[in-house]
Amino acid sequence: MLEGFTLGAQIALQPLSLVMMLFGVAWGIIGGALPGISGSIAMALLLPLTFDMDPAVALMMLAGVYIGAMYGGSITAILIRTPGTPGAAATVIDGYELHKRGLSGKALGVSLITGTIGGITSVFILVGFAVPLSRLALAFGPPEYFALGVFGLALISSFVGRDLLKGAISGLLGLIVATAGTDPFSGTPRFTFGETDLLTGVEIVAGMIGLFAVSEMFYQIAESGAWETIRGKFSTDLPRWVEIVKLKTAMVIGTVMGTIEGLLPGGGGAIAAFISYNEAKRWSKHPEEFGHGSLEGVAAPETANNVVTGTAMIPLLTFGIPGSNSAAVMLAAMMLHGVQPGPLLFERTPQIVYGLFVGMFIANLMMLGLGFLSLRPAIAVVNIQRPLLLTGILALVLVGAYSISNRMFEVWVVLATGLLGYGMRRYGFNVLAMVLGLVLGFMVEVNLRRSLLISLGNPWVFFTRPISAVLLLFALITLLWPILRQLREDRRARLARAA
Amino acid sequence: MRRADLLIGVGLLVIAILYYQQTFAITVGFASDRLGPAFFPRLLALALGACAVALSWRSIRGRSDPGPLPPVQARLFLATLGLTVAYALLLHPLGYLLATPLYVVAVVGVLGYRRPGGLAVAAVGITGVLYLVFVRALKVLVPMGPLGR
Repeated sequence: MLEGFTLGAQIALQPLSLVMMLFGVAWGIIGGALPGISGSIAMALLLPLTFDMDPAVALMMLAGVYIGAMYGGSITAILIRTPGTPGAAATVIDGYELHKRGLSGKALGVSLITGTIGGITSVFILVGFAVPLSRLALAFGPPEYFALGVFGLALISSFVGRDLLKGAISGLLGLIVATAGTDPFSGTPRFTFGETDLLTGVEIVAGMIGLFAVSEMFYQIAESGAWETIRGKFSTDLPRWVEIVKLKTAMVIGTVMGTIEGLLPGGGGAIAAFISYNEAKRWSKHPEEFGHGSLEGVAAPETANNVVTGTAMIPLLTFGIPGSNSAAVMLAAMMLHGVQPGPLLFERTPQIVYGLFVGMFIANLMMLGLGFLSLRPAIAVVNIQRPLLLTGILALVLVGAYSISNRMFEVWVVLATGLLGYGMRRYGFNVLAMVLGLVLGFMVEVNLRRSLLISLGNPWVFFTRPISAVLLLFALITLLWPILRQLREDRRARLARAA
Repeated sequence: MRRADLLIGVGLLVIAILYYQQTFAITVGFASDRLGPAFFPRLLALALGACAVALSWRSIRGRSDPGPLPPVQARLFLATLGLTVAYALLLHPLGYLLATPLYVVAVVGVLGYRRPGGLAVAAVGITGVLYLVFVRALKVLVPMGPLGR
C-alpha cells in the first residue's frame, strides 16, 4: 500500500496533473456556482476534453471538479438562496440567513473550511474502506460481475427517484440503447439499421452529456422560474478560528452522515446534508439559532456533502457501481479510457487508484485556496444573465459532442438524449438509472454470456456461487422492497377508510 | 399524469415489440457463443414490455400519483430547440465561425436578452472561447465552411 501511495504521489505531483486539477477545481467552483449546473453536469461537460489525457490525470481532474462544485454550489445557496448543487440544499436554510444579516463572508468561510476538512477526512475514509474491500472483491468472476451489475441497476432504479417502475424502465432503456453497435462476442452488427455511424454504438459520453446536461438546459428553458440576483453590499469578513473550533460537533455529525450516504446510492449528498443539519440542531448548545443564521447549520451540511465526494468513490472504485450522478460520470471517464473499475483496478493500475487518492487530497487543499481567492469574483458568476449562461452551455455541449469523434452523429445523439432526458424528468422517470444502464450494459451482457459459456449453459451458475447468489438476492430485495411498502400503505389506507 | 403514463406505457410497449422484432434481423455469425447476440436484447425487450404493460395498467387503475404537471413555456422551448437543430444542420454548410455567433445571438435573443452590445460580446466571446479550447488546444477538426477554403 505504501508503494501505491508513492506511485500515486508521483503521478499526482506532476506539473500537468497539478495544472489539470487546479483547472478542474476552478471549473468545479464556477460550475457549482452557476445556477442549474450541478457537479455532475460540470463534470460531464469536461468529458470530451479528457480524450487525449492520461486516465489517471483525467480522473484526478474530474475529482477536482466534483470537489470544487461542492463549494461552488454553496456559494449560490448562501448568496441567492438557490442551491447550485443538490448537496447544498440544506445550506440554504442558515447560509442565506447569515447573508441577509450581512455575514456572507462568515457563511462562505465556514462552508469552505468545514468543507475542506470534510473532504480531506473523506479521502482517509476512502482509503480505509476501498483498499480492504478491493481485496475482498478479488474473488469475483463473470457470474459475480453480472450479479453486481444487476444489483447496482436495481439499487439505482429503486432508491433514486420515487417510482420503482419508472426507475426500472429507465434502466432498461439505458441497457437497450447500449446494445446498439457491434456485438462484443461475435462481432456482428446489431440494431445499426445499416448506419455505419452506429457500428461503434452510442457513445456513452454523448448519451451522458445529453441525459445530464442538455436535459437540464431544456428543463430550465421550458419550466423556468424567477431568478434572484444579489442586491446591496455585504461583508466578506471571514470566520475566526475560535468560531470554527466551536463547530466540531457539527463537523463530526456531517462526517458520519456523509460516509453513510457515500456508501449507498443517493442524491449526491443532499440526504446526508439534511440529516446532518437536523442532527446538528439536536446536539447543538444553541438549537434556537438554527434557521436564523447558525454557523453550525452551515457547517454540518457542508461537511456532509464534501465527505460524500470521497466516500462515493468507494463503491465506484471497488465494485464499479456508481452511487451518484457524479460517480457515474467518473465511471464513464474510466470506461472511455479502457479502465475497468473493480478489484482488478487496484492490482493492474495502482497508479490510477492511488493517484486519485493523493489527487483528491491535493484537490481539497486547492479548493480551500481557490475558494478564498474567489470570494468576490464568485458573485459575478452567480449573477450571470441566464440567457447567456444557457446559450453558452448549449454551444459548449454541441461543439463538445462534435469533438468526441469529429462528426455530426454525436451532436444528434446529444440532442436526442437531451430531449429524452427532459421528457423523462418531466414525467417522473429516472435519468441516472438510464445513464447507469447505458454505462453498465456492456459489462452486464458480457458477463452474463461469459458465465453461461463457462457453465456450459447452466443458469444455476449464478445461484451456486455464494457471492453472486447473495448479490442477486439483494437485487431482488431491493426491487421488492418498494412494492411491499406500497402494499402495506395501501392496506393501511384501506383500514383507515374502513375505520 | 395518469393519461400521460398510459400513453407512455403504450408507446414503450410499441418500442419493446419493435425492438424484439429487430433482434431477428441480427445475423448470427459462426464465431458466436452459445447465447448469441440476440439473446440479451430479447431478454431486455421482454422486460421492457412487461414494465410497459404494468405502467399502463397502473395508470388505468389510477394508482399513480395525481397532481398536475407544471406549465411549460412551449414557445420558448420549441424556438430554442428549433434553433439548436438548425445550428446542427448549418454547421457544415456555414462552418463553425459563421454558424456559432449566429446561433448564440439567436438563442440569447429568444431567451430574452436583447442588449445589442451584450449580444455582440456574447456572440464573439462564446465563439472565441470554444474555438480556442476545442480547435486550438484540442485540435478538433470543426467544419470551417466557406471560411476554411
